[in-house]
Amino acid sequence: MKLLTHNMLTSKCMKGVTVGYPLGIVAKDIKVSETEFNSEFVSRIIPKLDWNALWKAADSIGHSGDLPQQLMEDYENNEEFLKKVHHVLLEVEIINGELVCPESGRKFPISQGIPNMLLNEDEL
Amino acid sequence: MTGFATRKVVRKVKKLTSMLHRESGIECCEEPTKYLFIGNAGLTTGLQRECLVPHFTKYGIVDDVVMIPVPTVENKDWHNGPPGSVVLENFVNETEEEILLHCIDWGTSDSGQHLKHRRVIHYGYEFQYHNNNINKDEPLKDKIPEECSVLFDRLKQMGYITSCPDQLTINQYLPGQGIPPHIDTHSACEGTILSLSLGSSVIMEFKHRDGQSMSLLLPQRSMLIMSGEARYAWSHGITPRKTDIMPCPGGGLSVQNRGVRTSFTFRWTRKDKCICSYHLECDSYNEKESSEQNDAGATELEKLHVHKVYEDIAEHFSETRHKPWPNVLDFVQSFPKGSVLVDVGCGNGKYFGQNKDIYEIGCDSSWNLSSLCKDRGFQVFTCNCLALPLRNDSADACISIAVIHHLANENRRLKAVQEIVRVLRQEGMALIYVWAKNQEYNNKKSSYLKQNWHNRKSKCNKTNAHEPPVVNAEEEKSQTEKYSKFSESSSFSLPLHTNRTQFLHKDVLVPWKLKPQSQKLQTAEVRTFYRYYHVFEKQELEDLCLREKNVELVKSFYDQGNWCVIIKKK
Repeated sequence: MKLLTHNMLTSKCMKGVTVGYPLGIVAKDIKVSETEFNSEFVSRIIPKLDWNALWKAADSIGHSGDLPQQLMEDYENNEEFLKKVHHVLLEVEIINGELVCPESGRKFPISQGIPNMLLNEDEL
Repeated sequence: MTGFATRKVVRKVKKLTSMLHRESGIECCEEPTKYLFIGNAGLTTGLQRECLVPHFTKYGIVDDVVMIPVPTVENKDWHNGPPGSVVLENFVNETEEEILLHCIDWGTSDSGQHLKHRRVIHYGYEFQYHNNNINKDEPLKDKIPEECSVLFDRLKQMGYITSCPDQLTINQYLPGQGIPPHIDTHSACEGTILSLSLGSSVIMEFKHRDGQSMSLLLPQRSMLIMSGEARYAWSHGITPRKTDIMPCPGGGLSVQNRGVRTSFTFRWTRKDKCICSYHLECDSYNEKESSEQNDAGATELEKLHVHKVYEDIAEHFSETRHKPWPNVLDFVQSFPKGSVLVDVGCGNGKYFGQNKDIYEIGCDSSWNLSSLCKDRGFQVFTCNCLALPLRNDSADACISIAVIHHLANENRRLKAVQEIVRVLRQEGMALIYVWAKNQEYNNKKSSYLKQNWHNRKSKCNKTNAHEPPVVNAEEEKSQTEKYSKFSESSSFSLPLHTNRTQFLHKDVLVPWKLKPQSQKLQTAEVRTFYRYYHVFEKQELEDLCLREKNVELVKSFYDQGNWCVIIKKK
């Protein structure tokens, strides 16, 4: 699970949960790899992110690097910044661990890079 | 003639004479005898004996002309149709024929219309050809013309009917026009249907589901009565042709040119449900039996006949996913750089990796399939499509291909659509594909149905979307044997579908035969799994999506046995 994916995940679909976002991460195994960088792609993705949630997620697993906590203005032309964002979004992957609902504490396991968000009958 | 032309002719002569010998034992020779064989024309190419005789009498006395029947017309009896059919010849005389033809006002009548294939007009009620049903809610202004009452009096006198029909459809067929085979929907009209043929004779083709077919001659001015089995269990149709091969009065066969035929089809609209015993073709019977599960039942049904099955067949299923459908690819590739696409029910990620500029996330209820998707390098998580763990307004694009037809009641299918719409950004678009109940559309069979023929003809195992390849023709034959109504392996009473045939019900269990090598167990035994499907009727998917308030329908189409929509979040 990459952090860009994590940025979209929520446990709001669970019964009794009002916000369910962002999900906490407990990382047991992390894989860092290199993927092709495309500045335009990154700058178009950024406005779709919850920046705060991204930073918190990256920080919680010790991979925020020197990514700023606040999103700067005029990032489209800041190649260096975009590369940092690219790294955090796409090059860090949680292989084994858990996602945690911030309201109920319910844990969703991540194994082989796949989060299991299947709910039990009583949670729907 | 040039050398080449002579050689070509010699080859043809050889081919035809050996065919003649093979089929009838007659040998040809070089020296002329009193028997002449014409090999390059015959009944099926429209050669009429009437044209041959004058042509050859120029050269001598013609004793006889024998048209050798080809296998398709051999053993045909044009004078008898299926049980329950009767042809009353010379039912009207020429004067009466004229009167009836003249009482039709193609121009001003309520529902005169020009169909692609033939002219049609309705009286009493409209007969709808798209579903072979009668629109009983909107009776037409024009009732059956007075001129037709003489026909009913005559039939009453002869003891064939006791009341008068209330619906009439007049079809005018020009030579070359026909009507596709169909059974009039059982609940639409009663057990007797009348058809008066004016202007020309025609051959009507009847087919039964078990493969039997019959050709019935309808002479000009004859009245055809279809009742019982002929009405309920045999489809009837007219091949679009300009000629018909039919028996000669004096014996033997000939080719008859068609004229303009006008048929008057009379029906008695049915006020209640059909109670015939021909259950397999009966919509009233099957409606009763269709299972609309409550949520608890639906959850259980889906667990047993969707989720568990996909987990068990995941590898084999993944192996049989081949060519991505072009329309889906086009959709995926239409999204600009930086778009986020969610594939709900992504399976093994068949549609991922086609557009390098977008971010793709898949989800599926099957861990095994998701695992195969992850192995291919894509982002995926497991979840139930009724509860997507995704934020509102987070996706630019969504696809859900062959997924929501696995949901066992309408509320759940609607919920799946609602979840997709919730996750879409404003102006975001989704493409949804579901299996269609009608596997034949615009007279073209889907590749799912065509696979049936392919497998009989050759060992080619071209796989189609929802089915595994059939191993061989014998296995195929055993699959199409006895149609059993209930699944022995399930506590749900749902009909079992026969692979690669038309759907007869809306809610079915579809078999999947698991290839032995793919199983974890080393047994040679072939296991069959049953997947639940609700197959969609025309319009049904559109209507479902439009029930969600902020949905705009962008496109709606039929693709290889599937109903498809592209919707936009307003």
